[in-house]
Amino acid sequence: MILLKAVILAAGEGKRLRPFTYSEPKVMIPVANRSIMDYVVRSLVSNQITDIVMVVGYRKERIMSYFGDGDDFGAKITYVNQDKQLGNGHALIQARDHLDGDFLVLPGDSLMDARSVADLLSIGAGHGALVIESEMPAKYGVAVLDRNRISGVVDKSGEGASNVVLTGAYKLPASFLGALERCVEGGDYNITHALNLSISQMKLEPIFGQGLWIDAVYPWDLLEVNHAALLNLTAQTAGKIEPDVLMHGEVSIGKGTTIRSGTTLYGPISIGSGCDIGPNVSIFPSTSIGDNVTIDPFTVVRNSLLMSDCSIGSHSLLSQSVLGYGVKVRSHLMASSADAYVNLEEEFYKVPNIGTLVGEDCAMGSGISIEPGTIVGPKSKIMSGSRVTRNVPTGAIHS
Amino acid sequence: MCGIVGYTGNREAQEIILDCLKRLEYRGYDSAGLAMVSPGSLQLKKSMGEIAVLESNLGHMPGTTGIAHTRWATHGKPTTENAHPFLDCKGEYAVVHNGILTNYMGLKEELVRKGHKFTSETDSEVFAHLIEDAPGKDLKSKVLSVLKLVEGAYAIAVVEKGKNEIVAARNESPLVVGVGHDENFVASDVTALLKYTNEVIYLMDKEAVRITPDSIETFDLEGSTVKRESQRVSWNLEDAERSGYPHFMLKEIFEQPRAIHESLLGRLESREEDSFFKSKFPSIKIIGCGTSYNAGLVGKYILEELSRIPTTTQISSEYRYSPVTESKPLVVCITQSGETADTLAAAKEARRRGCKTLAITNVLGSAITREADHVIYTRAGPEIGVAATKTFVTQLVALYLLGLELGTMSNTLSSERRRELIAGMRSLPRIVQSVLNEASKIESLAENYKGAHSMFFIGRHINYPTSLEGALKTKEISYIHGEGYPAGELKHGPLALLSKDTPVIAICVRDHTYEKMLGNVREVSARDSPVLAIGSEGDQDLVKYAEEVFLVPRVDPLFSPIPIIVALQLLAYYLAIKKGCPIDKPRNIAKTVTVE
Repeated sequence: MILLKAVILAAGEGKRLRPFTYSEPKVMIPVANRSIMDYVVRSLVSNQITDIVMVVGYRKERIMSYFGDGDDFGAKITYVNQDKQLGNGHALIQARDHLDGDFLVLPGDSLMDARSVADLLSIGAGHGALVIESEMPAKYGVAVLDRNRISGVVDKSGEGASNVVLTGAYKLPASFLGALERCVEGGDYNITHALNLSISQMKLEPIFGQGLWIDAVYPWDLLEVNHAALLNLTAQTAGKIEPDVLMHGEVSIGKGTTIRSGTTLYGPISIGSGCDIGPNVSIFPSTSIGDNVTIDPFTVVRNSLLMSDCSIGSHSLLSQSVLGYGVKVRSHLMASSADAYVNLEEEFYKVPNIGTLVGEDCAMGSGISIEPGTIVGPKSKIMSGSRVTRNVPTGAIHS
Repeated sequence: MCGIVGYTGNREAQEIILDCLKRLEYRGYDSAGLAMVSPGSLQLKKSMGEIAVLESNLGHMPGTTGIAHTRWATHGKPTTENAHPFLDCKGEYAVVHNGILTNYMGLKEELVRKGHKFTSETDSEVFAHLIEDAPGKDLKSKVLSVLKLVEGAYAIAVVEKGKNEIVAARNESPLVVGVGHDENFVASDVTALLKYTNEVIYLMDKEAVRITPDSIETFDLEGSTVKRESQRVSWNLEDAERSGYPHFMLKEIFEQPRAIHESLLGRLESREEDSFFKSKFPSIKIIGCGTSYNAGLVGKYILEELSRIPTTTQISSEYRYSPVTESKPLVVCITQSGETADTLAAAKEARRRGCKTLAITNVLGSAITREADHVIYTRAGPEIGVAATKTFVTQLVALYLLGLELGTMSNTLSSERRRELIAGMRSLPRIVQSVLNEASKIESLAENYKGAHSMFFIGRHINYPTSLEGALKTKEISYIHGEGYPAGELKHGPLALLSKDTPVIAICVRDHTYEKMLGNVREVSARDSPVLAIGSEGDQDLVKYAEEVFLVPRVDPLFSPIPIIVALQLLAYYLAIKKGCPIDKPRNIAKTVTVE
């Protein structure tokens, strides 16, 4: 069996996920204490695909410091640079010198399990695109099918003709790179365009994936991705758990973490290393808490994602919310959830049961309440006693 | 001050030895050489310059046992002749040596009188000739008898023609034994071996080892067996790879948030009473060299503020000249490698004087950990870049932890202040990350100063030593003469040196020194020196005083050296890049200095 190489595209910022891509690319956003791309890498490795080329660009140091040379993942990772993030086709071309023969290409920014990779490989010597049937094809690129081959692909901006969504994962021949290069030289940087041009010479089969594939298109989708990641969690508890801590379901706790008395943890919950939680904190499913997070007494966290280095003061409520790195809350924060219209770059999206989305390093005083569906920008400051009813811009002071 | 490696096993040794040797290049790179026990002969190759040069000259050297060396010249110039290994006159034994023999002159004269032909100016070559003449039936006994004759520091490894074995020994220079499957290793440092094994045995001073592919025998210089258990090292190879980064230094700068997190892990909440801290220390003396000394200078401010115990900081090599005092200070020895000869000597001296000693080091099982009464590990992971970065910030973390401990024991910290400090320490990984996120801004700032021949770094209070460390980074990496000063001292002399060609980096964070620092900035601006002010986030006034401003997150003044030094590390790095300096291998210096 010839072992394929895989290219993971990880150079883009993933702008639609702002404010959570302020200082790291979308591929590095952590769910259940692993970056999204971590799942992709492990899924490849469990299918014996260990020779991985990562195309990096935006904030690449975050990626390189996390994955290193791949040793910890059982992989050999080579990094190539895409200095300007022009498009995914242009990104793939950067990896060209490392590719000979058939190869896999995968987006680094969607959660993908080992089954999905196995599905992609099931095509054997042929070539194909991993697709899924979606109820909401408008969010994604879609494939036009002609019996058992793909006769065309339509990217995100186009009108979808089918509900067969492209996951962005392909098994392709080296010859495709020639067509792609001509496209890129002509100033067209998109993989789907190059696929359309070469689709008559190359039989591209649709592979209907049976595994997990989930992409966060909008920032609130992170809760769904987080939930999906937590479903596969196996409980591992390190650290120090004081007496009278109640744990139900799958709860994972990292080393050096202290869970204090009277705290209740309803899994699935993933808690990182070096945290200090409690006493008397309640955490409900499906919640991820990063490294070095402190949560003070009488705080309730429900179905939320708290990234590393956050500190949440006492008597706070966080429901259906995402907090970026280093968010600091003095005490008594009310971030409850409800169906709400979220304002994303002046477009309004109706989102069911959403709390608040807080960018990294936001500092909040005491006694603040935030309306459901509000986006609080990175490095902003919210003064004590504020009621936040509208989005807060990056670096702004809200009083 | 060199790196040595030895391999004996069942595989072809050349590639393995070179691979290990390359990971020791941080210890020196003037010249390198390899000796191989080949069928029928002992083969030897040496060359000037980095290991890559040696590698390209080697060709194929068959054999499964060999030793190699990368050199940092101390005795004799960096030439091919002075490169190790050395052979005896008959070509039966080959020796590599790291350290300095103090009595080699006399030994050499005697050997020359007996007719031995020396090929180099080094102290190390006497080993080969002494072994040639030594009594004893096997290599082990010959080496042992030679070790009775020599004085000074050494880590040596010896091979003999036609034998699949290596005999190695150490005294005051580092040496570890790597335990493999059907193969064994010796090396100056664990990082050299990580690709092949993470199971190691640390030898103590005046101990020796004989390794063959399937046995390891440790003994003292009398030849009596001593039992040494092997240990597993938690570091992995990845830590010793550049992983996409152009330089180890940059990789390690970016690893700092993680390193600080690891340093703090489990040390903030659960305090375990340690009898070591029960003793009342009348005073504290911190000793260290280079960057560790600078950490010690910051440590003085940390420990005095938190514990109110009078603290002084001294250069390790100077400690022995200080008078013995009646009251016995706690002596805190800071050394990244735990093998720094000057600091080890000072620790021994402190012990001789009856002082309690505490070591702050990064390397498990290193010499200092056996010398000191108490150890705080910095947990930074291996640092390969010659310029210390992540080990400096984690040394500061260790000092904060020590301050917290001493302050709690001596009741100088209120529980509220303690809580505040713990929250402050927890915020450090994130603070450092925020500075790193602005790396591209520092990169463009560096453009303004790359033409400078001389730069001044000024700060006050706890950031006076930060300015010293910033200046040291600039010297060692960017080859710009950097000078750190307490800002108030400028007017007492150095102002005379300032002109439009001498940029000044002024640390003007919002603390009690701020107003005075602004005065100093005005003072230097009046001499037309371009000023880069490092200030606190949110400060909108600084731009009125300085040409360029770089802002770091605002923290408790006690913690401000951490974000500031990260900015200064990046500045030194990008200056070096723009000047085309060899960042991971700066000229004339090496990382772990195991000679006094």
